[in-house]
Amino acid sequence: MAYVATRGGERAIEQSERLFREDMGPFDRKRVDEVKQGLPYLIDRVMGEASLYDEDLAALALAQTGGELYEAVLLLRAWRTTQPRLQVAAPIEQDSLFTHRRISAAFKDIPGGQVLGPTLDYAHRILATDVLQGETYSPEPVEPAANPSPAYQPSVSAWQAENDLLDPPADDPTKGNEIPDLTREPLLFPAKRAHTLQSLARAETGGVLALGYAAMRGYGQAHPTVNELRLAEAEIAVTHPDGRQFSAGRVKVSQAEVVDKKGEKLGIGYAATFGWNEVKCIAAATLDLNSPGAEKGSATEEEFFLYHTEGVESSGFCIHFKLPHYVTFQSSLDAMRDAKAKKAAGAAKQQEPAE
Amino acid sequence: MSLSTLTKPWEAMSYGFLDGSAKRELRRKMLKSVAVPGCQMPYASREVPMARGWGTGGLQVSLTLVNPQTRVKVIDQGADDSVNAASIRRFIARVAGTPTTMDTLEADLIQSRHRIPEEVLRDDQVLVLQVPNPEPLRPVQPNMSIARQMHADADYGRMWLQLYEQIVRSGRVMQGASYPSLVHGRHVMTPSPIPRWDVPKLHMAKHLTILSAGREKRIFAVPPYTRVEPLVFSDVPYKVEDHGNLTCTRSGTTGFFMNEIPQDDSSSAFEVSDSEWGVKTIRAREGEGESRGETWYKDGEMPQ
Repeated sequence: MAYVATRGGERAIEQSERLFREDMGPFDRKRVDEVKQGLPYLIDRVMGEASLYDEDLAALALAQTGGELYEAVLLLRAWRTTQPRLQVAAPIEQDSLFTHRRISAAFKDIPGGQVLGPTLDYAHRILATDVLQGETYSPEPVEPAANPSPAYQPSVSAWQAENDLLDPPADDPTKGNEIPDLTREPLLFPAKRAHTLQSLARAETGGVLALGYAAMRGYGQAHPTVNELRLAEAEIAVTHPDGRQFSAGRVKVSQAEVVDKKGEKLGIGYAATFGWNEVKCIAAATLDLNSPGAEKGSATEEEFFLYHTEGVESSGFCIHFKLPHYVTFQSSLDAMRDAKAKKAAGAAKQQEPAE
Repeated sequence: MSLSTLTKPWEAMSYGFLDGSAKRELRRKMLKSVAVPGCQMPYASREVPMARGWGTGGLQVSLTLVNPQTRVKVIDQGADDSVNAASIRRFIARVAGTPTTMDTLEADLIQSRHRIPEEVLRDDQVLVLQVPNPEPLRPVQPNMSIARQMHADADYGRMWLQLYEQIVRSGRVMQGASYPSLVHGRHVMTPSPIPRWDVPKLHMAKHLTILSAGREKRIFAVPPYTRVEPLVFSDVPYKVEDHGNLTCTRSGTTGFFMNEIPQDDSSSAFEVSDSEWGVKTIRAREGEGESRGETWYKDGEMPQ
């Protein structure tokens, strides 16, 4: 089939989409539920990048796109566009997070204790091939601790601030609708703090990791120490029009604080996102740590990493190169041929023997 | 008064997909961009059900401007039937119920990727150009915030230097499409990657042109009767593509921008890029009546 067939475009695109859908076959609510149940960390990642917290919709997006992650995130972002902004929830302090996992690499022990929580960090990465032979994979049951760790924990940086080891960020009195919203305003530089954190929260995990890793390896000025990494659930408190505050439910969140010595004090980098995504938070916090004073055009400069880790924009632009570009190409060819002809004419002139 | 009198029945999406606040922002930014011709206005740029880089900027403008009576034409590389043009046209018609057309003269709004139709646009028509990169200074300054400052200072020295270097090295300005142009004597803009052939059509045009970059979140405009002057040195004149003498092998029309089609015998055939102009020419040739309007170019030349 021709790329641009005369009057054939409409039919071609229709059929190409059908072909994609036919390969995946029909699916129903059951598959959505299976995706949601079986792949919670993928759901978390997609919800974070979509900046839309809804496990059912995220599972649906994954089922509908066959797991094409960029497509799934785009589906959710486009759906998000159609939704009104009804309420701004009450701000959440770190010590009000219902904490499942919270570790610090900066100290052997911290107030509130190191809480390992659920993690694969110490698992031996061995494929459970028995499952393919028909066995059921049954994880060993968890043995509850005699003394459960407290569900609510102070932040490590609060202790450091009390001990004059770091300057905590100044209190931001901005409230409710006054908080800058990246989805309703353009991102300009130097970026508003809210825009920076929102951009990092919805950044593409792989992109953040790539640039964060570059900073960690040595292209950044600061070496991160994980001050605190936390997986938690946050209570979403909203206000009813009659003035009563009520809970709209809990959302899974993850956050990381990384620090580095900056003169006599510690510099701090911070990132948080919807869902449990530790790699993204540590990498994003590392970028945040490195960004003050970073050289223009370097990978740790805010404008550089915020623009280039935006997954919907970067993936969209990447695949747009599949679109026909023959007009632009024709225009370049014309300039090239003309320059070549001019050069040939010039060379011919020069070859004439001097008198 | 009850809640039901204050609301309307629930609908899956707003008319024209975008909600009221998105459209309001776009209208404000469009007005600003008309007020300061060629100046890039940042806007929030919502995510739409199409990938970034696929005309989301143009689409948001079109969705904001249309009503159910607006007749919409969508082209990509000059062709109405190009796959992405077909997709955008279908989407606008689906969410805004607009009638569509392929005839430039019939259209109220034309969304285009990288071409301006060959027939002259009227003052009641709006051209929406999709823009991949709104920043003409990008090749000399990739940092958006520094570039923004340079525009504010009308600091275009490096732009001129780049053109000068091209002339020194290659004997001519090597810019293909997206030729940087000075708008209203103040802001340098990229006309989007339209060929050099199309840039003079913007100069003192009767119609309004809105240029919108969805991914880069910038909108700018060329209002009617505004000067659009390609950056050229006084002794090296602006040169459009050498297409004035080419003839379309399908329609026989001569003197318009062409697509080059490589042939098996290493030669090239040419097809007129404005597909509807080609169709109209074929219709006229086959005695189905004359439907062609006035064109910007006459006999392959843009009248001064």
